Amino acid sequence: MEALKNAFDFSDFPRTDLVVAGVLALVLAAFPFLSPSSFAMATMIQFFMFSIYGMGWNTIGGYGGQVDLGKAQYVGIGAYTTAVMLIRWDIPFWVSMPAGVCLSVMWSFIIGYPLFRLKGHYFAIATIATSLVLKDLFEVWDFVGAARGLEISPIKYHPPDFLRLIFREDIYYYYVIFGFFLAGIVYINWFRKSRLGFQLRSIKDNEEVARSLGINVHWAKIKTYAIATAFVSVAGSFHACYIKNIEPEDTMSLDISILIALMAMLGGAGSLWGPIIGAGILIPLKSYLKEWLGARAGLVGIDLIIYALIIMVISAKEPRGIWGIVERVRRRKRRR
Amino acid sequence: MKILEVQHLVKEFGGLRANDDISFALEKEELTGVIGPNGAGKTTLFNCIAGLHPVTGGRIFFDGRDITDLRAHEVARLGLARTFQVYTAAGDLNVEENVMVGCFMRTASRSEARRRARRILADLNLEAHTDALVSELPVAAQKQVTMATALGTAPKLLLLDEVAAGLNPSEIDQIMDTIRHLHHDLGITIVLIEHVMELVMNVCQRLIVLDYGKKIADGGPEDIAGNPQVIKAYLGERYVAEHAGELS
Repeated sequence: MEALKNAFDFSDFPRTDLVVAGVLALVLAAFPFLSPSSFAMATMIQFFMFSIYGMGWNTIGGYGGQVDLGKAQYVGIGAYTTAVMLIRWDIPFWVSMPAGVCLSVMWSFIIGYPLFRLKGHYFAIATIATSLVLKDLFEVWDFVGAARGLEISPIKYHPPDFLRLIFREDIYYYYVIFGFFLAGIVYINWFRKSRLGFQLRSIKDNEEVARSLGINVHWAKIKTYAIATAFVSVAGSFHACYIKNIEPEDTMSLDISILIALMAMLGGAGSLWGPIIGAGILIPLKSYLKEWLGARAGLVGIDLIIYALIIMVISAKEPRGIWGIVERVRRRKRRR
Repeated sequence: MKILEVQHLVKEFGGLRANDDISFALEKEELTGVIGPNGAGKTTLFNCIAGLHPVTGGRIFFDGRDITDLRAHEVARLGLARTFQVYTAAGDLNVEENVMVGCFMRTASRSEARRRARRILADLNLEAHTDALVSELPVAAQKQVTMATALGTAPKLLLLDEVAAGLNPSEIDQIMDTIRHLHHDLGITIVLIEHVMELVMNVCQRLIVLDYGKKIADGGPEDIAGNPQVIKAYLGERYVAEHAGELS
């Protein structure tokens, strides 16, 4: 009960934050009725998915300060679990999604245990490596369609199918993922002030101090990594039903891992709104850049150049991202 | 009743013996100071006791239990807390939340942790700083927050690492009052590392002196002040030889 009350307790935010968040939530809720183009709808759904990935990343990467560049492997595990279970055994999304979370979390324990013996850059590199190895395995594993991937053909079902999450119109997908997005915010709002959340921030600052305060640093990291994983896996399962055509390359590639981490860092790692702000900037930017510059002017790869620029600017100017700037300005105002 | 017993403790870093065969035992509710010149091995001794360094040799007993091979968080959960010269639990949390990190060792409930943190802050007269960031506070208050955070873990034995370093005389008085309060009113056994002699001589009931990793003296503050070996360690052999007349 107390946890539930805490999850909905946003009282430590200034009122302006809550007003802005409330207005944005209403706009998002009404968005499908503002007759958006199908391209805009698809972009918004991507925005929600990446916000969820980013919120997950933010637990271990932001609050815990462990830079994880392998989140895509859990997009893959979630997506493949849902696709395989649906195609082979006709198991609905609401069963396969938790099953995917279980598998992802199990895998996260298996690799998290040795990985968290590493620190800093070594940890980051090791997460990339595990993700790439898993992707390579899926590319040769026939049971999951190897490099060809899997295809969910909607003709076999009768959309709208709410159990299997098979729809013809994007508006259904929009509200399903919007629901997950809101649930994610509520969970992170609880997490950031929970025992584990506080312990992680202590670990980020100084592991020796954390240990002396009775915190089992290794175990706290593994637990948080599992939470991050669960977030990513849920959105990965959704990805399978939404995209319907999954391949190792577009679920588990390094690009996705980097984009997830980059979004959270751009928006502000270690803050509730950071990953959402980051996704809100980068996902539309990515879609529209591809559409305009890539398709029309033939400038393929321009999005990657822009990511690289963003990384450089963040690391040089404000390691705490856009939210870090907001907080700094506020603090200065308060002092005056 | 002995609360801490260190037997023949040895700690080596590569070829360097930072702690060389140190033995002592502390009674419950004693207030002990560990002094010695820079590099004498004081902080290393604390780290070994708190489980942050694996020891090279010897045994450590806390509250009748062998804690030599326990890890730092396990030692902390038994009721042995230490503070650090670098300040607090987390820089982006405010004072109350920092103390809550300590309190979370004994409870998983947020409201309970907050209640305990508030009680500790009130007890140390830090309520005014509840919502401040630790980095915004004066140094003396930062040190008190460090102590409050350690108190959050409800320790039986508290190791304080240089809580008076960098403070002005009136702040030192303030810290001395806090230490006396923890010891006298809360009944916590305290060991402190300190270079500020005024504090050491005023609050400690017993002093342990280290030099080059070895224990060279152990006794009440008056005995230690006149101990020729201690004077030599602090002032150097040549100084003692040249000023032999004045010192005796």
